[in-house]
Amino acid sequence: MVALTDLRIVPNPEPDDLSRTETAVYPDWESVYEDNVVGIYQLVFRKVGNAADAEDLAAEVLMQTLKTLRLPAPVHNVRAYLVKTARTVLADHWRSHYAAKDAAAELQQVPPDALTAPRNSAASERAQRLLALLPDQSRRILELRFLRGYSVREAANELGVTESNARVLQFRALRKAAELELEVLT
Amino acid sequence: MTDSPADRVARYVDDLLHGRRPRRFSASSEEVEAMTAAAGLASSRVGADLPSKAALDRIHGRLAAAMDESPALDRHMTRRVLLRTFGTAAAAMVIGVGLDEVATRQGKAPAGSGGGGSAVLMPDSGAWRPVASVTQLPAGHAMTVSTGAVDAVIVNDGGTISAVSGICTHLGCKLQPDDAGRKLDCPCHQTAFGWSGKVLYFRLKAEPANLPQIPSRVNGDQIELFVV
Repeated sequence: MVALTDLRIVPNPEPDDLSRTETAVYPDWESVYEDNVVGIYQLVFRKVGNAADAEDLAAEVLMQTLKTLRLPAPVHNVRAYLVKTARTVLADHWRSHYAAKDAAAELQQVPPDALTAPRNSAASERAQRLLALLPDQSRRILELRFLRGYSVREAANELGVTESNARVLQFRALRKAAELELEVLT
Repeated sequence: MTDSPADRVARYVDDLLHGRRPRRFSASSEEVEAMTAAAGLASSRVGADLPSKAALDRIHGRLAAAMDESPALDRHMTRRVLLRTFGTAAAAMVIGVGLDEVATRQGKAPAGSGGGGSAVLMPDSGAWRPVASVTQLPAGHAMTVSTGAVDAVIVNDGGTISAVSGICTHLGCKLQPDDAGRKLDCPCHQTAFGWSGKVLYFRLKAEPANLPQIPSRVNGDQIELFVV
């Protein structure tokens, strides 16, 4: 099942006001942090899928930015810089944790507008669209695992295959999903 | 240990689905590709990618510690300002309320939502009007219907039919059923309601009201709502 305890109520103190980003300036770190800390966390979370790594990487992105960025600076410049830093930090993470080669690390591409684009509702919708494009068996294994929280064994039983086959099916389905994401959704 | 790419990726997925930090290993390009997709899927649940207050506090702590170690950083922001910033940001941005707590917090339901948390929409000159056939709404599904005057969502929760307003109580956007998540999503401001109309999730300054309930019944093979 979906981990309901993960849901949080988050009052948005400063709803994204996209219109102001063209001309607005961040005067100090206070405004940079308040405006972007949650967005940075979400951005890296979507690439690593777990809270522990997301926390480390979000802190790293902010730390690196803190060290190099000069303020005051235009909002869109700062956000572009944060996204660029996030991209580097993520690629390093995949290289150091999973020995990912440069080409594979490139899969960690983050769109330049990642901090201004709609957030998690869009991610959910995107996932649904992606699943809908997959062949039947691939879609089913991913739905069972990711949406319904089935273990490999439970998913294997449901699909009438061995556990080992379910793992292979899952691997292929995820690769297919990654390819589709690059081809169709970008 | 001689495990295959599929085994390694399965272990990675298990870690993600259990909320654990995945173990490190040497992955091929194909594996990284699959793992990237897995991370994206794991983070697509509504709310999954929001930091907890504890996580924000720890990020704050690390930055504050870095400031202590590097006096040069004071050029950009003093430690005092940093602490003030992170204190307010953390307090303002995240209130870590679990879903269980939300579901049982009926006493604090906003005005107009009635006892028990949800108002019932009972029009003065209403009538039972068919909106869908029973076969259109299998168990575990929700669908939007409109009677012209009222936009509603009808729900079949394990054979029990119910209906709530299909309009977000925040600013009136039309809700979109998410059957997998057993919820109704507002496309405008990331608000989500349960099938019963209770607010599950929001990113607004104030909690929106629960969805009004709409009287419903099954008459023959038709689902009917009591509406104008």
